[in-house]
Amino acid sequence: MATVVDMDAKGELGFPYWTPVRRRLSPDSPFFAYGNIQRELFAKQVALDLTEDEKNQLQNLVDEDGRDIFCPIVGCGARLTFLEDFEDHYNARHAASCSVCSRVYPTSGLLSIHVSEAHDSFFQAKVARGYAMYECLVEGCGLKFKNYKSRQQHLVDKHKFPRAFEFFKKAHPSKKARQKHQRKQAIQKRGETSSKMEVEGETIDGLVSGVSRLSTSDSSPSSISFGHHHTRGFIFLPRAVKRENSTHNGTKG
Amino acid sequence: MASRANRTSREDAGLGAGLLDQCLDEVADEMGNDEAKSEELPWSSRRKKKWQMNPPKLMKTGTSEIQANKWPKWSPFWYRTWVRVTALSGGWAMVILIILVWRWREIFGSVAAQKRRQNAVAVGKERRESLVRAKRLCRVGISGDSDIPLDSDMMIDEEQSILEAQTLSAVEELKSAIAFQGKGAMQKKVGALRELRRLLSRSEFPPVEAALKAGAVPLLVQCLSFGSPDEQLLEAAWCLTNIAAGKPEETKALLPALPLLIAHLGEKSSLPVAEQCAWALGNVAGEGEDLRNVLLAQGALLPIARMMLPNKGSTVRTAAWALSNLIKGPDSKAATELIRVDGVLDAICRHLRKADEELATEVAWVVVYLSALSNFATNMLVKSDVLQLLIQRLATSNSLQLLIPLLRSLGNLIAGDSHTISAILIPGREITDNIIEVLVKCLKSEHRVLKKEAAWVLSNIAAGSVEHKQFVYSSEAVPLLLRLLSTAPFDIRKEVAYVLGNLCVAPAEGNGKPDLILEHLVPLVGRGCLPAFIDLVRSVDTEAARLGLQFIELVLRGMPNGEGPKLVEQEDGIEAMERFQFHENEDLRNMANGLVDRYFGEDYGLDELAD
Repeated sequence: MATVVDMDAKGELGFPYWTPVRRRLSPDSPFFAYGNIQRELFAKQVALDLTEDEKNQLQNLVDEDGRDIFCPIVGCGARLTFLEDFEDHYNARHAASCSVCSRVYPTSGLLSIHVSEAHDSFFQAKVARGYAMYECLVEGCGLKFKNYKSRQQHLVDKHKFPRAFEFFKKAHPSKKARQKHQRKQAIQKRGETSSKMEVEGETIDGLVSGVSRLSTSDSSPSSISFGHHHTRGFIFLPRAVKRENSTHNGTKG
Repeated sequence: MASRANRTSREDAGLGAGLLDQCLDEVADEMGNDEAKSEELPWSSRRKKKWQMNPPKLMKTGTSEIQANKWPKWSPFWYRTWVRVTALSGGWAMVILIILVWRWREIFGSVAAQKRRQNAVAVGKERRESLVRAKRLCRVGISGDSDIPLDSDMMIDEEQSILEAQTLSAVEELKSAIAFQGKGAMQKKVGALRELRRLLSRSEFPPVEAALKAGAVPLLVQCLSFGSPDEQLLEAAWCLTNIAAGKPEETKALLPALPLLIAHLGEKSSLPVAEQCAWALGNVAGEGEDLRNVLLAQGALLPIARMMLPNKGSTVRTAAWALSNLIKGPDSKAATELIRVDGVLDAICRHLRKADEELATEVAWVVVYLSALSNFATNMLVKSDVLQLLIQRLATSNSLQLLIPLLRSLGNLIAGDSHTISAILIPGREITDNIIEVLVKCLKSEHRVLKKEAAWVLSNIAAGSVEHKQFVYSSEAVPLLLRLLSTAPFDIRKEVAYVLGNLCVAPAEGNGKPDLILEHLVPLVGRGCLPAFIDLVRSVDTEAARLGLQFIELVLRGMPNGEGPKLVEQEDGIEAMERFQFHENEDLRNMANGLVDRYFGEDYGLDELAD
């Protein structure tokens, strides 16, 4: 729609705040399509009778706007028929959630990687014995690595992942899980056993969200750019995470 | 020796021995009784011996063997073999043929059914396209009476081809009538034109292609020449109207006729003729931008505009409709030119005030395009009474086809000119009360288009000053909007979201963060509008998702006592925002991530554990 928009007021976060503006629309805007069609139908109705079927077809004509709508989740690109279809499609295809920690991943592949790396003690055991267990997150690559750090390096080198992008992004578990986690942290504050799995779980999320942008999508959206903007505050590193990063530096790798 | 062997072989023959015998019979016949020859062919000699031993009874009677076998004398061996083989195999062939035919009928049947389906789809599509075109077929004469019954349903293929044949002959008839120089030439021409016109106005899909192929347009142009009698001009213009009412290439075929059609719009022409020409030109203008530019360049605007000035008559209505097609743009020049024509603004006001609903509808559409395209026109309209008249008419009418253009004109005038809100629709004035009433009436209506566009207009009013927001907030609109927010289809919900959001944010000053109007935000959230916004965040439409995120930011920032994050979490807002981690759109990703990081960081929820 053609809108008259003042420059969105952006604060320090770069967030475009809600600004009330008058919206002027051109007469051929899709917004007016339905009314235009009704006008022409009225004019011709004297001589014609519309069947129920035709009425529905005309309604569909307007609903779809004549545009194709595609799923906006990276790597999916599925064609959606109606605006309301998206929710169904999302729940069917992109809502793979971990039953243990309730985190949601856009593909089942990433979910299974998360489950094995974050909640599987057998996995940890094998890692401890020196097997290469950390899979590359990009579908079709198939390489495995011995530790988290080398996989991370591989993703950065070979698949052009941003070095710091999203890696420290924290997921936001449910309130209950959060409370549990914080209690655990309070208890373990003195002890040196850092909840390694938790940390790796969180960083997995970062990688996972990173890889979701690079997985088998043929139409790589041009809006994606990695690592170009970290100078502009594109990556948000909450203080809490920065703190955690420094304490857990030694335990990685 | 040979005969013994033969005898044995004959005895061993088993099945088919009878047939074999028959064959041998014939061969023996042909070979004659020549013994010398028969030695080369052992079986014939065997046959002869058999006769000699057991002459057939028939021989006694003296009739020939041939008669007994019913074969014609001349028929050679291979002929008889072939006949016998065919007789035997013919039976099987019939059976196979029947099976094949039965199978093929199925295949042909399905091919035919498929073709019929495709046809139906094509026809359905064609019909849909014809329904939404901005062109109008003229099926009933301007005087109102039609001398033939109208077919309103689809014609089947055979009827269509008959119609085309008739059209062809009608055009031929016209050609000869034009060439005719003698007495009664005029009647001939009018008669031929009438016949062609009837063929072109009988059904929903007139045989335009056939008429064009037969070369109708040049003939019709000739019939439009100056000095022709009115009847002739009328019929010719009617034919051209219907030719131009269909597909784009058909409309474009009228190009040679345009100058004459425009010429007959003048004051010297009789009213029905002028109207029919305006109708034809309206169809041409409805085709597209290129044809519109041609018409404007040839000077069609002024004469048609003048036809809109009188108080009543069908001519005024047709002229208004043709004008709306002509100024559609997308260039604003025509609209600006129109409003400048002397008397047009006054006529618009007059018609909006007094005219019947049909005429008022067409005039309202003219105002729609004037206000949407040309700033100059919007300015002039706002300074006149048009706003009041639109509101008045909106309040009194109940006809959907009139309400649509009235509402849209109102919306365009408010959106296009800041003067409208700042100087005219000042809260406290009667006109402002009236406009809210009228918009509420549209919101209450059952028609989707009215609800959507009324919400759009309200959102623009709510984008005005703080007083405007307070005025809208305290009106009956808000409860209606909240209800629509939960029940209406997506496009209406989006517009309602704009209204509510605009109500909660003060007008932007400078580049800082706009201030919140908590007196509106808090109660609105209290009345449960947050889930609908979070729903918008989940939608696939980028604009809606953006709106949702912006509103969530307002809630997170503005709700007192830090309630915002809790409220958002309760409605699964966090989950909705986290979806954007994997979203294509970078802006939305950043917005969502920013909100989650800022308001749901590590410290979130810690204070609950404190006690």
